[in-house]
Amino acid sequence: MIRRIIALAKKEFIHLRNDWWLPVFMLVGGVMELMLVGWATSRPITNLPLMVLDHDKSAASRSIVIALENTGTFRLAEQVEDMQTIEDALARGQINAAVIIPPDFAEQMNSPTGQPVLAVILNGAESIPATAALRAIEGVTRDVGEQIVIRRLGLDPDQFSGFTPRLRVWFNEALSEALYTTPAELGLMLEFTTLLFAALAFSRERELGTLEQLLVMPFSSMEIIIGKSIPVIIVSFVDFLLMLGMVHVAFDVPVRGSMALLLVLAFGYLLVELSKGLVMSVVSRTQHQAFLLVMLFGMADFMFTGYAAPVEGMPQFLQYFANLVPAHHWLTIFRGILLKGAGLDVLWPHVLALALLGLVIGTFSLRFVRKALD
Amino acid sequence: MTTRPTNPMPAIVAHDLTKRFGDFTAVDGINFEVRRGEIFGFLGPNGSGKTTTIRMMLGLLAPTTGSVEVLGMTVDGDTAKIRPRVGYMSQRFSLYNDLTVLQNLRFYGAAYGLNNAELEIRIREALDMAGLEGRENARTKDLSGGWRQRLALSAAILHRPETIFLDEPTAGVDPISRRAFWDLLYKLVAEGVTVFVTTHYMDEAEHCHRLAFIQRGRIIAYGSPAEIKERMMRGQVLELAPSNAAKAVKTLRAAQQAGRIPLEEIELYGSLVHVVAPQVKKHQRAIRAELQKAGIHAGQMSLIEPSLEDVFIACMKH
Repeated sequence: MIRRIIALAKKEFIHLRNDWWLPVFMLVGGVMELMLVGWATSRPITNLPLMVLDHDKSAASRSIVIALENTGTFRLAEQVEDMQTIEDALARGQINAAVIIPPDFAEQMNSPTGQPVLAVILNGAESIPATAALRAIEGVTRDVGEQIVIRRLGLDPDQFSGFTPRLRVWFNEALSEALYTTPAELGLMLEFTTLLFAALAFSRERELGTLEQLLVMPFSSMEIIIGKSIPVIIVSFVDFLLMLGMVHVAFDVPVRGSMALLLVLAFGYLLVELSKGLVMSVVSRTQHQAFLLVMLFGMADFMFTGYAAPVEGMPQFLQYFANLVPAHHWLTIFRGILLKGAGLDVLWPHVLALALLGLVIGTFSLRFVRKALD
Repeated sequence: MTTRPTNPMPAIVAHDLTKRFGDFTAVDGINFEVRRGEIFGFLGPNGSGKTTTIRMMLGLLAPTTGSVEVLGMTVDGDTAKIRPRVGYMSQRFSLYNDLTVLQNLRFYGAAYGLNNAELEIRIREALDMAGLEGRENARTKDLSGGWRQRLALSAAILHRPETIFLDEPTAGVDPISRRAFWDLLYKLVAEGVTVFVTTHYMDEAEHCHRLAFIQRGRIIAYGSPAEIKERMMRGQVLELAPSNAAKAVKTLRAAQQAGRIPLEEIELYGSLVHVVAPQVKKHQRAIRAELQKAGIHAGQMSLIEPSLEDVFIACMKH
């Protein structure tokens, strides 16, 4: 039995070596994507091009433009003289924001009852820069507004203390996006790698026509499943370790919790995805079909991981549904161990959920695949 | 073909074997028996149910009704006892093309549980049989069809099966390689192996000890080639070598339809024409006259022994 399993696993490895581009693509492609995501998100958004139409041309109007520039969020792209230029630039996507200062800006600022207004146009087609721009503009106007109030009330600015929150961000002190995105990306990468390699296990042989030959050989269905799974497990796990090392070195993603716990749970999660992948593999007639199934289910899972949009913001029933997605629990566990240093005492509900889902999916998969192979 | 001494227990027995896919009946209640140590040919056009039958015999497909016994054991869900004792090969799909010759043979050997010492000896023998010594490390996909097919057969018998199933083993292979392949089959049979082979090449049918001809899921002829010819052939075969064979066929068919010459069959055989009728010699003169009218020189005419192809064309029409 062991001999037959080893023979099959060996054969699978030879296929992987001959089709070397696939594992290499998964590995190199995965690392590259992580790098890109990491770099793109490791810095806060800065230097968004800003256009200014200043009808006032006063000291007050100039100082507000300087204040906007000083946030670092903006880079003054151009001072323009007419609205048309702004509209064109926005339409072409050359700028993310434009500020229009009305002619009476300084007057309203200085009058004791004045109501200074600043018109702002944001490019909402790119929502993430737009949100960053909005935040920066709100910050500047709040400061200026405060100064006006203090002045009008005749208070001493040094003595005035407004309402300010004392902010401390836990687990990710610098609020670095990379600490959020790279683990999420990496966690998903483990899912996709495992699913894909598992999905090819049988669909490949079915497409090439060799599956029948395998089935008439004296392999039991269990031997076939184990023999086919070993290479998938090894390749996916090694891939995971390499990517984990990479984000640790390149983006200072910490492993604050127990490494042993992380590896055990990653392995467990890998087995859950393997079970799913094998089912996709036996229902597919071709490798293409298997690949599309992986994409379909992978992308659906992706929506429930909280990576693209927070699960907490979804409709209630989708939130319940998210609990049935193994990747959802896995990413919570993964980030918890990496960033929060959480242990089983905190993560147990997710570990339990993952274990139960794994049990159900694994049992179903084993029965389904064995039946398909008999 | 000489008759061979047979083991009293048949290698394969099919009882009313039927397979339906929805409304379509692929195999329709067939019965046959394959004796030990014979080459049993399973012939039929594409889509006639050959592959479905072989898959049922291998336990890859459950029959809708009926049953099949292989080596005295009924093929059902549990084929674990049968599998180590049979071999299977299909010309196109038996080998892993990205593996080398040696890797393929090693995988087969290990899958059938041969130990290393045994495996090395068997691999030597297999390479010798396939004529692939010195090419052990060639990728299988780089071998030509004939080599690949001999390698597939060598792999399928690496574990010394008692019965082997060959599904269209020679499809798409050149005639010389086919010839060499059949020589290998005779060698195996001489060692006592039972060979069940499907093919749609009529000339290969003549090489079988016994055969079944299947059409639309039913067996329409069964027995040794000689028996089948005797039983199925309605009349004698006259071979013509006319100056324009294609036109001759057309002319004679027109004459047949008009009722001028009572012929059973008129078939083109390359540059020759075969006509079939009881006491066909009687019509020689009428045929010659009919062709003359159409400006065709009838040429040499001779009574010949019917080939299986003649027989099957006759069977398929009736």
